[in-house]
Amino acid sequence: MSGAPASGAETGVSGEACGSQHCITCGDDGVSMTVVRVDAVRALALCADDDGQRETVEVALVDPVAPGDRLLVHAGTALAHLEPTP
Amino acid sequence: MKFVDEFRDADLGRAVATEIVSLVQSISRPPRHFKLMEVCGGHTHSIYKYGIDDLLPANVELVHGPGCPVCVIPMGRVDDGIAIAHTDGVIFTCFGDMMRVPGSEGSLLDAKAAGADIRMVYSPLDALRIAKQNPDREVVFFAIGFETTAPSTALTLKRARTEGLRNFSVMCSHVTIVPPLRALLESPDLRLDGFIGPGHVSTVVGARPFQFIPADYRKPVVIAGFEPLDILQAIEMILRQLATGRCEVENQYKRVVPYEGNLRALEVMAEVFELRPHFEWRGLGFISHSGLKLSDAYADLDTEVRFSVPGVRVADPKACQCGEVLKGVIKPWECKVFGTACTPERPIGTCMVSSEGACAAYYNFGRFAREREVV
Repeated sequence: MSGAPASGAETGVSGEACGSQHCITCGDDGVSMTVVRVDAVRALALCADDDGQRETVEVALVDPVAPGDRLLVHAGTALAHLEPTP
Repeated sequence: MKFVDEFRDADLGRAVATEIVSLVQSISRPPRHFKLMEVCGGHTHSIYKYGIDDLLPANVELVHGPGCPVCVIPMGRVDDGIAIAHTDGVIFTCFGDMMRVPGSEGSLLDAKAAGADIRMVYSPLDALRIAKQNPDREVVFFAIGFETTAPSTALTLKRARTEGLRNFSVMCSHVTIVPPLRALLESPDLRLDGFIGPGHVSTVVGARPFQFIPADYRKPVVIAGFEPLDILQAIEMILRQLATGRCEVENQYKRVVPYEGNLRALEVMAEVFELRPHFEWRGLGFISHSGLKLSDAYADLDTEVRFSVPGVRVADPKACQCGEVLKGVIKPWECKVFGTACTPERPIGTCMVSSEGACAAYYNFGRFAREREVV
């Protein structure tokens, strides 16, 4: 369920080559992601970035979250909601 | 795209730039030069990606701060990581950019080529997954970054404890943003007029930790987002404070940053980490209470307790002037090896490694020579 993309990673490409505004090769880039599915028991959520790339995200610091919520994610952990939860 | 397109509107950008010009004119009699520091490497990247500095009057200078997590890791720390990575049975994990940071005898990428089992991960959770999949191996996560990535490491350590993992540990090289800012403000080399505060660090720590800057040093701070209009508006807000004689912490990035930060993140960090007495920063030297280590309660998951770490201090290469760049004393193109011996493909200094590094930002966006054409 990790879903971490492998392309480019092992070659050590820079952020400029990744095709998106933020390259998660450097874990300190904030990435905006949309919640796809929630595992509330484990405080994890499957999230998609704006390019559709999916990743498992720790949501303990921002829960409750629901599918469709927009989150600011750093190094696989959501730090903030980007929009108020409906 | 919501929260993106409206912050890249060219007409609005030009309007804010015009407002900045008129503000500067109103407070530049007699003529005055303004130095504003963007603390965060993400801001540096955006400024050069979008050409924001070209919209500013010639007497408004942006100085690049120490907020790139990769750039501030000293060479000795990389050597420590490589030594652990070469230990039998170890799988060493770290973020991608960290693999390219030069140590005294090569990078983690070189060590990987030489046979060490070093794997790039996108998050500490990925490292934890590798530990679960390899119960007969010791998995080490090289944790770097400011208060943006520290909560992620803390939550992963709590998860490792809950799940009873015994083959996972963290080599903690997390740093905090306030001590280097205080060190810079105390530096005689640098005279700053205001700060563009770090947007995403502030989602965790809030605005309160920056109050000492106006209170003790009489400099305005505006916490800003990372889109072009965010940064332009933050510059306008700093200049307006200077024009009206105000001096305070303002939050331009309210759509993401709450004043009090993320209290749950601060709680989990307080549980898992404690401050080191000193931590070495690349180019800035040792700064008191600026680095994090694992607390006693998590000592069994601390790589530095579990392994013998050399801990040797290594001087930066003489040709490299990352220290001066990180302190904002020189511009990247003023370094002797910028763009020649030191490039993103073959970096000598850390500032050329990460896309958030000032040197890489200048190089990637074509700033090979002088700051900008004089208008």
